[in-house]
Amino acid sequence: MAVLIADKRVLHADLDGDSVRAANGSMVAYTGKVEFKYASGGGGFRAAMKRGVAGESISLMTCTGAGRVYLAQDAMDVTVVQLSNDRMTVESEHILAITDGLQLDVQFSGLRGMTTGKGVATTTVTGTGQCAIMSDGPLIALAVTPGQPLVVDPDVYVAGTGQTQMSIISGVSWRSVIGEDTGEHFSLRFEGQGTIYIQPAER
Amino acid sequence: MISGIDATVYDAQSLPSNDNVNAYAFSIDLDGEWFTSKGAMIAYYGAIELSGLSAYASHAAWVAARFSSPLYAQEWVVASGRGKLVIGDRGNDINSYDLDNGNLTIKQTNLLAFETALELKQSIIPGFVTLIGTGKFLASSNGPVIFVEPPFRADPDALLGWADCPSPSIHYDYHWMSQSLSAGVHAMFGRESGEERQYDFTGAGTVLLQSSEVTRHDPALARIVEQHTHLLTAAAAGVLGHKLIARSQE
Amino acid sequence: MAFESVNSKVVRAQISQQGAVLARRGAMLGYDGNVSFRPLAHAPGAGMITGESNKMMASEGSGSVLYGYRGLYVTVIVLTGDSLSVEADRILAHDASLQTSVEMIAQGGVRSAVRGAMTGQGLFTTRISGHGSVAVLSHGGTFPLQLSGQTVGVDPQAYVGHSGALQVDLKSSVGMRHLVGRGSGEAFQLHVSGHGTVYVQASEEKF
Repeated sequence: MAVLIADKRVLHADLDGDSVRAANGSMVAYTGKVEFKYASGGGGFRAAMKRGVAGESISLMTCTGAGRVYLAQDAMDVTVVQLSNDRMTVESEHILAITDGLQLDVQFSGLRGMTTGKGVATTTVTGTGQCAIMSDGPLIALAVTPGQPLVVDPDVYVAGTGQTQMSIISGVSWRSVIGEDTGEHFSLRFEGQGTIYIQPAER
Repeated sequence: MISGIDATVYDAQSLPSNDNVNAYAFSIDLDGEWFTSKGAMIAYYGAIELSGLSAYASHAAWVAARFSSPLYAQEWVVASGRGKLVIGDRGNDINSYDLDNGNLTIKQTNLLAFETALELKQSIIPGFVTLIGTGKFLASSNGPVIFVEPPFRADPDALLGWADCPSPSIHYDYHWMSQSLSAGVHAMFGRESGEERQYDFTGAGTVLLQSSEVTRHDPALARIVEQHTHLLTAAAAGVLGHKLIARSQE
Repeated sequence: MAFESVNSKVVRAQISQQGAVLARRGAMLGYDGNVSFRPLAHAPGAGMITGESNKMMASEGSGSVLYGYRGLYVTVIVLTGDSLSVEADRILAHDASLQTSVEMIAQGGVRSAVRGAMTGQGLFTTRISGHGSVAVLSHGGTFPLQLSGQTVGVDPQAYVGHSGALQVDLKSSVGMRHLVGRGSGEAFQLHVSGHGTVYVQASEEKF
């Protein structure tokens, strides 16, 4: 069974004759006998269509063999999440690697894409296995519980789990803008039950 | 069931109170008002509102007394209400500083938030502001802050601020100075690599450096420079204008 | 005198009459004492061959100098008679007493070297040897891979440097050759084998 271990900004993927999928071009070094092969983002034709529409693709390669692969991208911090028959949504560009047993489905960015105008794709990860998430700075996990909603800057949102409802609130001066009354003051408000993961650096 | 994630899950109660969440994020325990720079907030719990300085000053006269810098008023908001307010700055390190009836001068682009008990004034050195009084403020730096004692000479771009010691003078490197004298170069735009010119600190106090000489855009810098041009005669202003036009077309 | 790591991005070097330090221009953050900075002329022809444009300066006098560059991470490597191969652009500072020379590291022959140069994957490195400290820049820090006879593959973009008796070959990944263009981004790899240490950064960012 392939095992993912985070070591600050580097992910160790230990392969035992099997494979993991990783962000294209994220291999920085490897030992042993490992082959790297381009693969699609998963989710089949439907996801590919959505990727086309969202103008964003999640490009993964398959690392197959026996040995250790060192995976890293842009010196981002790496966090490994263990899923047991569960579901997590992650901004697509933050997925570094996933083990077999997890399925990916690329979705419309929905509200976040609209607020930021960046058209970023969100990927739903489901199943049982390990998913390595990368973030600019250490990931911060914030709980959402009934009666305790959370508001975050869309530019720091990375991932979410649980049953939360998202809404947009405005009237907040998030960004450095000239003048005091320029628009685009949006933030994301989460209610319900779950955990929201943010990074300390605005994109 | 999600498990094995190596990150502490915080909520409104367990988020640190006026302390760092990690090196790059700080949690303010808000109960009243703080001045925060626009864009500094990355998340919050509770009933918190952010208002532009002029809007807030219309019903709170103390804002004008505490925030004594029209140059930077547009870059700041008042955060008011009750809750936990998480501050971040593009992945830069964040430090909090406690002033006890003291003063500290800091690069304006790196000041993120300060308690309303403190007073902010523009420094004589362009791009810097001085905080005076008793209270807490937050500032970011590229990499950890390095504290050194005078006598010390700092690359102006790596300088984050200083406390207690006199304002710096400018030191020109011997090699650079002798070269420019022999070449007859009297006035130059811009800089070479940063080694030709340093801020020279003397006296007793503390100098704060960040771990990088990368500067950030100061939206008020052009206005600061412009303020000084009223010292020029009409003729001198015209000559400067031509030089600036020539430079903008380079 | 060994460089002192002030934090992950800054080193402090002691400068004395006997010991000057060579550093990248623009890397001085501050200093105390009487130190002066003298730009160094390019070694003739070196820049033309390597295409690398590192501008160095000498810090001379007596005092201590803080060096850092663009917020990049700094790794201090102490040489005790051995040598380090590192890309010229990654050298933040080193003791002036160390010897430097330009070398071509990939032993895959002229053809692969040319290919490497064409793809901008910088096979020319600076070889630093002697007794003293070297401060090396990286994006996000380096991690060392110790080799005792085995082979590791390294992304040329993430390769920082190496020391010891190592052989470095540039290989085009066999399984990838027909996929270049839409490939995995791992079309070229450095295969490093022998006894020594390879330094790798957690990023593909070259500078």
